[in-house]
Amino acid sequence: MIKVVDIHKRYRGRSVLNGASFTVEKGQITCLIGINGAGKSTVLKAIMGLTPLKSGSILIDGQPIDKNLYEQVAFVPDHLTMPPGMKLSEGLQFMQDFYQSWNANRAEELMTFFSLDRTERIGNLSKGTAAKFNLVLGLSQDTAYVLMDEPFSGIDMFSRGLIAEVFSSHLIEDRGVLLTTHEIGEVEHLIDRALLMKDGAICRDFQCEQIRSEEGKSIVDVMREVYQG
Amino acid sequence: MNRYLKLVHMEVDRFKYILAGLMSLTLICQFGGVIWWTKSAVSNRESGAWMNGGSMGYILNSSTSGNLSFTHVLFNTQFIFMIPILMSIGVIAIYVFLIWYRDWLGRNTFIYRLLTLPTARRHIYFAKLTAILIFIFGLVSFQLALLPVEKLIFNLIVPSDMRDPSNISNIIYANPALEMLIPWQFDSFLVYYVIGIIAVLVIFAAILIERSYGRLGILYAILYLGISVFLLLFPMAGLGLDNVNGYLYPNEIFAIELVMCVVVMTVSVWIGCRLISKKITV
Repeated sequence: MIKVVDIHKRYRGRSVLNGASFTVEKGQITCLIGINGAGKSTVLKAIMGLTPLKSGSILIDGQPIDKNLYEQVAFVPDHLTMPPGMKLSEGLQFMQDFYQSWNANRAEELMTFFSLDRTERIGNLSKGTAAKFNLVLGLSQDTAYVLMDEPFSGIDMFSRGLIAEVFSSHLIEDRGVLLTTHEIGEVEHLIDRALLMKDGAICRDFQCEQIRSEEGKSIVDVMREVYQG
Repeated sequence: MNRYLKLVHMEVDRFKYILAGLMSLTLICQFGGVIWWTKSAVSNRESGAWMNGGSMGYILNSSTSGNLSFTHVLFNTQFIFMIPILMSIGVIAIYVFLIWYRDWLGRNTFIYRLLTLPTARRHIYFAKLTAILIFIFGLVSFQLALLPVEKLIFNLIVPSDMRDPSNISNIIYANPALEMLIPWQFDSFLVYYVIGIIAVLVIFAAILIERSYGRLGILYAILYLGISVFLLLFPMAGLGLDNVNGYLYPNEIFAIELVMCVVVMTVSVWIGCRLISKKITV
């Protein structure tokens, strides 16, 4: 379980995170929802230790993030973070060289699934292709958790279908997934739990199925209550 | 350790084309300079023009017998020899900054990946430092290795009866840039390169301070650079090594300077490692 407790962060004199607390369970797809600038990406970066916090704590299976936990948590940022001069094959080799949790067979499987060309240079990839390769890098690690920042942003309809397919496949099963999005429509049917962020804190935390059956509301309905009400 | 070496390999790999470019430039400029100058000097001599004062510059620097030596060649081709050396120094100096900033700038911010590698983050710091040292010493050794080859070219062009012998120390002294790059005294060699390494460490610390503290970081970084330069220069400039009436003996001042160097080095490495582990932000 990833446990985030009362995290605060200021950036350029503004409170970006203001006491956000939540948990991410294994075997569930949790979605962090919020309008632009709500602090969603900052939460993911903070979990990965990519930005320091003013206060609060983040524990992954009871431990603070350190080098060994990078074998346990994979991060798919909102852009591809590999040098543009590398070929895709070199990118895969780089991952294999550094991560013990790297699963070369799965990488192969995903490369075929997304029809990616290994000889292409990373700098020449279109936005959508780069996003697919980004997912290959994140999902080919045998990690307990996967964090994804806007995995659907800037991707065409058919590729979205492919990515959505990945979400409901064995590649995600049993893992704890935390993803952010501001276009909930695309993923509504995929996610188990929704966390609504407002002003740097979590203002609603609910199981999607439960709110659908008990209150007859979709996630978008709840979002309207929170952000427009 | 293993991952540190992989990181070093990766950093060297990312700079390999520029490094190869600098080496090629050195080779082309210096070989070209040696061949062109030697050939024209030999033809000058064979035509007898030098006797009539046709080439004053050459006569002034040549031995009384009128023979040529490789030292003369280097003395007369200083400018073309210096171009690639200064250019290499300039490129490396810029790359001391770029080796960090290239990971933050642009569309693909590689720093995300580097910081989430399952290895101690200080390995990233030391890998970048090692890479810079490899580039510096790689270029210097390449230059050293070129000199005998250039001498061989000289020997091939100039007939043996027209040649004066020259030794390596004279060859290096013939060009101020070479003399600075490869000082003949071991202690000057140590001083030049230790100062260089301290400068790299201080700049690394300043870059990481800037990357860790946002806008305010620029101010802190400049402050850190200023304090470091002050600490390093103060014993020499403030207390005065050559001041006979000074309060301290020269060797005491030298000891203070040494301590300052060690302090600045240690603090810079400590700040660098600490910031990259705890404070850095993407």
